[in-house]
Amino acid sequence: MNALLKSAADGTVRLIAALRTALPALFGLPVLLLFLVLLPLLLPWLPQAVRPLRALANAERRRAGRLLDREILEPYRPVRGTSARQGLALLRSPATWRDVAWMAAHGFTGTCAGVVAIGLWPGIPVSLSLPLWWWAAPEGSQSAFVTIDSWPKALTMPFVQAAVYAFVLVWLVPRAARRQAELARLLLRPTRSTSLTERVEELTETRAGALEAHGAELRRIERDLHDGTQAQLVAAALRLGLADRRFDTDPDAARALFLDAREGVEEALTQLRTVVRGIYPPILSDRGLAGALRALAGGQPIPIELDVSGTGARAPAAVEAAAYFVVAEALANVARHSGARRASVTVRRAEDRLAISVRDDGKGGADPSRGSGLAGIRRRVAALDGAVRVHSPDGEGTTLDVDLPCGS
Amino acid sequence: MRIVIAEDNVLLREGLVLLLTSDGHEVVAVAGSGPDVLPALLEHRPDAAVLDVRLPPGFKDEGLRAAVAARERLPGLPLLVLSQYVEETYAAELLAGGAEGIGYLLKDRVSRVGEFLDALSRVAAGGTALDPEVVSQLMTARQDPLSALTPREREVLGLMAQGLDNGTIAETLVITERSVSKHIGAVFAKLGLPHTDSGHRRVLAVLAYLNAGARA
Repeated sequence: MNALLKSAADGTVRLIAALRTALPALFGLPVLLLFLVLLPLLLPWLPQAVRPLRALANAERRRAGRLLDREILEPYRPVRGTSARQGLALLRSPATWRDVAWMAAHGFTGTCAGVVAIGLWPGIPVSLSLPLWWWAAPEGSQSAFVTIDSWPKALTMPFVQAAVYAFVLVWLVPRAARRQAELARLLLRPTRSTSLTERVEELTETRAGALEAHGAELRRIERDLHDGTQAQLVAAALRLGLADRRFDTDPDAARALFLDAREGVEEALTQLRTVVRGIYPPILSDRGLAGALRALAGGQPIPIELDVSGTGARAPAAVEAAAYFVVAEALANVARHSGARRASVTVRRAEDRLAISVRDDGKGGADPSRGSGLAGIRRRVAALDGAVRVHSPDGEGTTLDVDLPCGS
Repeated sequence: MRIVIAEDNVLLREGLVLLLTSDGHEVVAVAGSGPDVLPALLEHRPDAAVLDVRLPPGFKDEGLRAAVAARERLPGLPLLVLSQYVEETYAAELLAGGAEGIGYLLKDRVSRVGEFLDALSRVAAGGTALDPEVVSQLMTARQDPLSALTPREREVLGLMAQGLDNGTIAETLVITERSVSKHIGAVFAKLGLPHTDSGHRRVLAVLAYLNAGARA
């Protein structure tokens, strides 16, 4: 009984809350119709005109989203160009027309439902009290569409009406509230084609980012090899040539040049190792991601709890390298900034995604917009169309979650 | 000494053969791929073997795995493992079965011919030769337990971990052998390690301590 009452009350509250969008929608409709009639003249002002409509639709998206417990995303995509061109784009956008359709549907049904829901509650006691005063009503009172003009009617009809009201409250109102939210979702969510378009745009952007990052990486490697290793080797070869010329006349000087040359070669080798490690850590190809992460965790100044049991089959090299660098960078951050006493790393393969989680018990407060390490992680992950989440409340440690698609 | 070489790069292999024969050693066999290593070692039972970590067919850690397998079959067989890069994990795996006659060096070190040959003969004699870079990786990773040491003591510990004896440490740091053993005594006392003289034991003890720091 209590549960029924509660769901009826909840439904009513929701229908009443929906009036906040339904009433503006209803009263906005005439304005909208007027605008549509004058559209050929008003087209350049369409971008301004859709703003209140979108604000209203967004309010409804939030409200219905909360009720359905799932976010309703905005379907709008940015429009560019002159205001006339923008107006034309808006006119062609299905999102605009779906908003209009919602406005008409919600304006009428939402207002009716809200008003009825408000009226039902006092309606019950009023009905039940009808036998006490029907005879005093001037032209006879109506109950359940029947004019009360005799005692038998007065003692049956009001109870039938109260029962109908109660039934509507308990059965229909909660369902109506839900249908209303579902209608909003149906009309206001991005359509399949708009979400596909959006996805394509997002991919174009990340692809551009990936190409950019890849280009920068190639330039860096080229510079490192050209200015570092190659120059060192040239210098060493030069010294060997000089040593060769002096070998007979000044063996001591030749020997010194030989030693210089050797040092140069050693230096070049060291630089080469660093470059190679930056491209693709050798341990990764030797031992796979799990083994490489184990080695990485072993080399940390604080104890690392490592769970790589769920890494499954090998991911593409680019994904494994990104995962390795993400964990390396995250652990470097932990060691450098967090003041943590321990940390944990979890890597799991879920279907076609690699989920990485790095937690520490440090002081938290990591700001992704400031730290260069976190920015680097973001770039690397974005290039592979992955996602990064940083949760770092002050004093409660930091959790970094990274999701990488394995492209299978 | 009779030596077996496992290295797939022809240039480097020939270089090693040249280097070792010119120093008066005999190269009894060369292996160019992972699966050939163990049979060659079992057949020739050399005085020492020089192995590359990465070998065909997979170019992963076949050489290292062959080394670990060989030590199981021929306990105490002196092995010097060469690698293009240093990896703490590999050092730990090599030393897991005992540090006597184990070496793990960067390939670059071969160019320091004298030091390389010293390291090889140290390993053949049952000693240890760890690359300074492995040691420095271990030392930087385990900064905390070492914070009690003075900079000089840390230097001595580093050289000790590479497998050098007191005399060589004294030469390297240009101090007397007596002060070297004094420093070593202080290091052992501060780290709570039992005092021993033999080189590889010291390496093993230091490594065990450093590894324990990682697990604690």
